[in-house]
Amino acid sequence: MNRWTTARITQTQSSSAPSGGQRTQRNKERCRSNTQKKEVEEEGGQGFGKERKETVPRASCQTMCPAQELRERESQNRLHHFEVVPGTEAFRKPSGDPLRAVKEYSRPAAGKDAAKPSDLRLPDVLLRTVCYLIDEIVGSPSPHPWTEVYSFVFDRLRSVKQDMIIQRLSGKDCVAILERTVRFHIYASYRLCGEPLRIYDPRINDTHLQEYLSWLFDCYKTGAGPYPNQEEFQALGLLYNLGSSAATQHVLELPVRLRQTPSVKLALAISQAFLAGNPVRLLRLAQKLDFLQACALHRHLVTCRRHLLLIYSHGFSSRNCRFPLDRLARLSSLEAPLAAGLCRAYGVEVNQHNQVVFSKSAFAEPAQGRLECKLYHGIVSEKERGLAVKSIIHGCS
Amino acid sequence: MAHITINQYLQQINEAIENHEGSFCAELLSFKHPHVANPRLQLASPEEKCQQILEPPYDEMVAAHLRAFQSHKEENWALHIMFAVTLDLRIFANNAEQQLQKKGKGQPGEMLEKAAEQLMSCFRVCASDNRAGVDDSKKWGMMFLSNQLFKIYFKINKLHLCKPLIRAIDSSNLKNDYSPAQKVTYKYYVGRKAMFDSDFKTAEELLSYAFDHCHRSCQKNKRMILIYLLPVKMLLGHMPTHLLLRKYDLTQFADVTKAVSEGNLLLLNEALSKHETFFIRCGIFLILEKLKIITYRNLFKKVYLLLKTHQLPLDAFLVALRMMQVEDVDIDEVQCLLANLIYMGHIKGYISHQHQKLVVSKQNPFPPLSSVS
Repeated sequence: MNRWTTARITQTQSSSAPSGGQRTQRNKERCRSNTQKKEVEEEGGQGFGKERKETVPRASCQTMCPAQELRERESQNRLHHFEVVPGTEAFRKPSGDPLRAVKEYSRPAAGKDAAKPSDLRLPDVLLRTVCYLIDEIVGSPSPHPWTEVYSFVFDRLRSVKQDMIIQRLSGKDCVAILERTVRFHIYASYRLCGEPLRIYDPRINDTHLQEYLSWLFDCYKTGAGPYPNQEEFQALGLLYNLGSSAATQHVLELPVRLRQTPSVKLALAISQAFLAGNPVRLLRLAQKLDFLQACALHRHLVTCRRHLLLIYSHGFSSRNCRFPLDRLARLSSLEAPLAAGLCRAYGVEVNQHNQVVFSKSAFAEPAQGRLECKLYHGIVSEKERGLAVKSIIHGCS
Repeated sequence: MAHITINQYLQQINEAIENHEGSFCAELLSFKHPHVANPRLQLASPEEKCQQILEPPYDEMVAAHLRAFQSHKEENWALHIMFAVTLDLRIFANNAEQQLQKKGKGQPGEMLEKAAEQLMSCFRVCASDNRAGVDDSKKWGMMFLSNQLFKIYFKINKLHLCKPLIRAIDSSNLKNDYSPAQKVTYKYYVGRKAMFDSDFKTAEELLSYAFDHCHRSCQKNKRMILIYLLPVKMLLGHMPTHLLLRKYDLTQFADVTKAVSEGNLLLLNEALSKHETFFIRCGIFLILEKLKIITYRNLFKKVYLLLKTHQLPLDAFLVALRMMQVEDVDIDEVQCLLANLIYMGHIKGYISHQHQKLVVSKQNPFPPLSSVS
């Protein structure tokens, strides 16, 4: 899919051509662009490089929120409580704080004005906006639940992405913003685990995260570099998409020097263990991950542990089976009582001597909602100790 | 272009003429252009309409054109033109990609995706041809176009887009009647897709067909098919002969084959590492990694054959693995490996933790690979 919203070149590509008047307009535009094309050619665009000269929208907004939008939202009482002058939240019409207001995401609509320069934020403003969101909203203690923090930051980051796309931002500026955005979404996928669906939908977070990741990898591939964080993100991408042949093949095709960096090597080893159906090795290797990497792996923990219980149910299946619970707990990276709880969720019997009685006929999928990942992801949370969210997302831990 | 009205079409020509847009006008008068598929341009007497909108001599010219391609509506001899043009399109898109890459411009895959969009519209025109009889149907173009599209989708790594094409052809009654060459290419790509989806039995059928029916003079193509057929067959327990590998210059597989059949994990790791670049480029590295499970199975079977008992101490397997220089493996992992093999059906038996032994069935504890999975 072409990320840039370019107008279709020829009408033959659209199955329904517009009627009469508009078409004339479009033909006239094509004429115009043809003459522009001639200008480019005369300026020396040679060979295949006869690029259509599209006008890239200019940006001129110097603030996190364009002045016009701030005025509008203020008068319509549509400011977020993170954006108002502190102390005015309870007013009938709170005042917008220009140092805290951030441009919101708005769905691109047909017929809407092509972006005015005063509405488009400059690249350095975009980075400043992202840093503000991380430092002051994500990373600051707040009386509000983190789900609200997430919603606000999710939306405002989406608007930053929009501004980036419209002005065709690429290169180092783009990468700096994308890297922080990816870290935020990966952290969120762990932090909000277990929240009710109506407040946080992991699939929506996933969809956006995949887009950001894919764009980031494109930047690494086509940009001049150097990109010192690339190894970190290639590893995160692989861990997050564990089991995906496409993601694994992508990493295998990276240059050797990248593949041999410690993060990527570890991620590949974990990926190999996953594809080989070796959960013991996988969970053992996972001990070596840092906090954010563990967040990326987090959503696959359920699958890994399920696979462990499944193959052990088959492999140890016998009437006299007495497998020590403690050992199983260690293998699953869980405390013994939690390991017992996990067994019970899958129908695996634990007797009163704390021994697991594996049986291939007993293993069953847990009842809907019975298995709460949140209870069992201590392996991730213990790595968070002592870390500030701010530094995790900026990447300076 | 496939649904504009006759008035719109004529207006477009008129404007193109007025604005001196020669190439656009030429497209509108070309047989290769999709507008020829538009049923709304099929008029019995186009002259009157043309005279209303166009100036002479263009009115006569366009009327003649309209009459001419009308006669194609239930014919398909233009398919060959389409084949040539779409093939060229794909090749140009490839070249365009390479050039853009060299300059570091554009998104990777952009040119090929655009080409694919065009090909897809042609495919839809062919697939929806329900009017003509079998001999004249445009459906005969479907397999060629699918093959072109497969080539693009594999290149830009968007294999999921192959699915609708496969479904369309599978449900077509012509699927066995296309030319042998087209069928071989088709089954090659669908076989590769099945491999990607881990459906190895299906992959083996398709790729075997492709290999057997590929003309013996096309050594290069046969070799390409073999690159994908070999790993699949090995996973199902059928090892290639050295003769075959030498004949098709695929000796990279020789060490892999030897390692797997002997249960030699050390040699397997070395072979995979040595030819890593080749295997990764062909996209079979991940599948060959799956052979590790088969290799473990073969190694453990050797242990069983050596000890000649059906109660095997776990330590024996640990020793065997350490001999193969498998790194940092302990009893826990041995248990896990064995449990996985039992779960997959490669070993019939169970592990006794108390006695630290693998107890195998007295009958056929290591079923033949072809009967498993």
